[in-house]
Amino acid sequence: MKALFKAVAAAGIVAVALTGCGSSSTAGPAAAPAADLSTVKYEGSVSVITRYAGGNAAFFEKMAKDYEAAHPGVKVNLQQESDQGYKDKIKTLTASQNVPDVYFTWAGNYAEQFYDNGLALDLTNVIAPKTEWGSTMAPQALDAFTKDGKTYGVPLGLDAKYMVYNKKLFADAGVSVPTDLEGLLASCKSLKAKNIVPMSFGNKDGWPAIHYITQLNSYNVPAGTLDKDYKPATASFDDPGYKQSLDQFARIVDECTTTGKGANGTDYYSQRDAFGQGKAAMFYVENLEFAAAVPKGSPAETDGYDLFRLPAPAGAKGDTKALTGAPDGFLINSKAKNPALAVDFMKFVTSKQNAETLASTIGFPSPVTGTLNESNSTPQLRSSIEDLQKASRLSIWLDTVTVPGVADAYLSGVEGMISGTKTSQDVMTAVKAASDQAK
Amino acid sequence: MSTQEKTFPPPGLSAAAAGTPVPRRRKPARKKNTWHGLIWVLPGLVTLFLFVYYPLVLNFRYSLETSNIFTGQQRFVGLDNYTRLAADPIFWKALGNNCLYAGISIVCQVFFALVLASLIENLRNERFRAILRSVYFLPSAISLTVTGLLFAFMYQPQGGLLNGLLDAVGLDSLQQAWLGNPDTAMLGIIMMSQWQGFGYCTLLFAVAIQRIPRDLYEASALDGIGPVRQIFSITIPLVREMTGLMMIVTISGAFQVFNEVMVTTSGGPDNSTQVLGTWLYRSGFVKNDFGYAAAIATVIFIITLALALIQVRYTNKRRV
Repeated sequence: MKALFKAVAAAGIVAVALTGCGSSSTAGPAAAPAADLSTVKYEGSVSVITRYAGGNAAFFEKMAKDYEAAHPGVKVNLQQESDQGYKDKIKTLTASQNVPDVYFTWAGNYAEQFYDNGLALDLTNVIAPKTEWGSTMAPQALDAFTKDGKTYGVPLGLDAKYMVYNKKLFADAGVSVPTDLEGLLASCKSLKAKNIVPMSFGNKDGWPAIHYITQLNSYNVPAGTLDKDYKPATASFDDPGYKQSLDQFARIVDECTTTGKGANGTDYYSQRDAFGQGKAAMFYVENLEFAAAVPKGSPAETDGYDLFRLPAPAGAKGDTKALTGAPDGFLINSKAKNPALAVDFMKFVTSKQNAETLASTIGFPSPVTGTLNESNSTPQLRSSIEDLQKASRLSIWLDTVTVPGVADAYLSGVEGMISGTKTSQDVMTAVKAASDQAK
Repeated sequence: MSTQEKTFPPPGLSAAAAGTPVPRRRKPARKKNTWHGLIWVLPGLVTLFLFVYYPLVLNFRYSLETSNIFTGQQRFVGLDNYTRLAADPIFWKALGNNCLYAGISIVCQVFFALVLASLIENLRNERFRAILRSVYFLPSAISLTVTGLLFAFMYQPQGGLLNGLLDAVGLDSLQQAWLGNPDTAMLGIIMMSQWQGFGYCTLLFAVAIQRIPRDLYEASALDGIGPVRQIFSITIPLVREMTGLMMIVTISGAFQVFNEVMVTTSGGPDNSTQVLGTWLYRSGFVKNDFGYAAAIATVIFIITLALALIQVRYTNKRRV
């Protein structure tokens, strides 16, 4: 035993000594260096990482193949990860300073972490709204990746959240599309009276509830206050609208869903399937998922479905024209060996022809304007994009627009509210504490 | 060893008197052997040092810093991360869950597995015994991810097997979202783990029981001792080495739980199923608080090191 202690101690001492010798980087965040993007050398390789593994992998696989065919001297090293797999991998790659040339990002604080710390190339000169490339895209999509007048991201999918509803089930219950939150709750009552499940909802992963809260916060809290509170340096989370949003969400869960307190044990995707199977009248879903939620030939497609925004409460003090959503986007590593080639690859991916391919292969609406048509999209998807362009602003997902600590407080707090172990006041106290800690 | 034995003179005689060849000076030979040995074990030692001890110490250093992974910036904060840890209710909740996990695992994977192994080994039909051992071992051969998905389906509030069974026997009032309710979620995960690990422990105990001489059972039977008393008077005392070892391995495993939680609840709802491993992961990979995550890792290391030292001491004392 003594020998064991001695061995561990000796190894520890040597390791401590070596650790001390190791480089301890204490350099602060550096601004991304300017890069020459005007001349593209079609040679070498470009590394790309996405979060589109599985069913959505086909688009980037095709893009890599087509780009290599168009430029024989170039090799595209493509990695595609699952949603959670990407979150883990990009942090490991960031910590080891091995970020690929082109990498996926969500909008909001998630993306800002990269460009605030000099890890994303400033693309203002090539993709800002008035440039040749930028003018092909919806301005709301570019706004999501713009900070202090500089544009860093290349938007890919134009994603927004809508309530889809089964037309037949609505007709059976004599319900029409609600225009305010009270109307929605009344519709749920009428549907229940006809033994129809009003709304399918599963919150096992936490984020489905957060999407409701994102939209309700936009309705109940003035836009200026939201912008201030979502940044830790200026945050106070004092507006009563935050608590109102949580209370309204609790009413939706209680009065419209049948999973109720059990929603935390129910998977989002099984509930999405329930809507597709015609077993629920409504489901709150991203337009990117319309094709998956209502597959061709499914009962919901046969019944007919349409969409509306989550209705705002009457007399709401926030922006009732705001819409929850954000484009998926890509950043270019400021330390890429050939940044012009990386930018050129993303220009290729977002060309009008490939933007149409994005919709036809995986059902994602592109931010490139005028790319959805009858041959590559459903009427519901086109309708969502038309509506999105009328939105006063896109409210970015609450779990990516805020700092991770605040997002985590919201995620776990709302889970507690659903289970009945926390009140809306408890949640806001935890959110405020997390925000204060992040200051 | 054999060379040395040949060179020893008979007792009471010097080497020269015994007429045996005088061995060469032993000290240099030992030194040579030591150096030869060191050369052979050096690759292993270097690997062990680089991939085990160095990261351990590095982790301790990180636990005394805050770090920004985006810039590589690190700042020394002393014991701040440990102070925050002591005041973090979720850390204590996670530690409590690990302890609950360990407690239930001891009851199921040590006590019940021992009883089951005794019952199986008491069966007369060898083929039936082999079948039962295989049947109980089968869950251990299934991947943890598959098991997690299987139990997630079983625990589904709507259409899940467990709620369906409760409904079928008239206990529908007990139906609930097993993994969605903070009061039942952790127990649900622990029971899944017991289902998977129980058969493996049973098999190990069965092997230990097979090593007990059958004469003891036969003699005790002639003395009129029944099967229950045989378990308490013969089986349990004679497999105590295996029992002790299993307890240490089970407790140590309970403090390293991670996958079981990640594939079922990821620590939710409302952090009710966090264990030290998942709280470490969430702190580092979700909240970007890598210094804090390193402090949790240090706590896990200290707990498991203490258990490992007990295990080493135990196995040195009692060979199984």
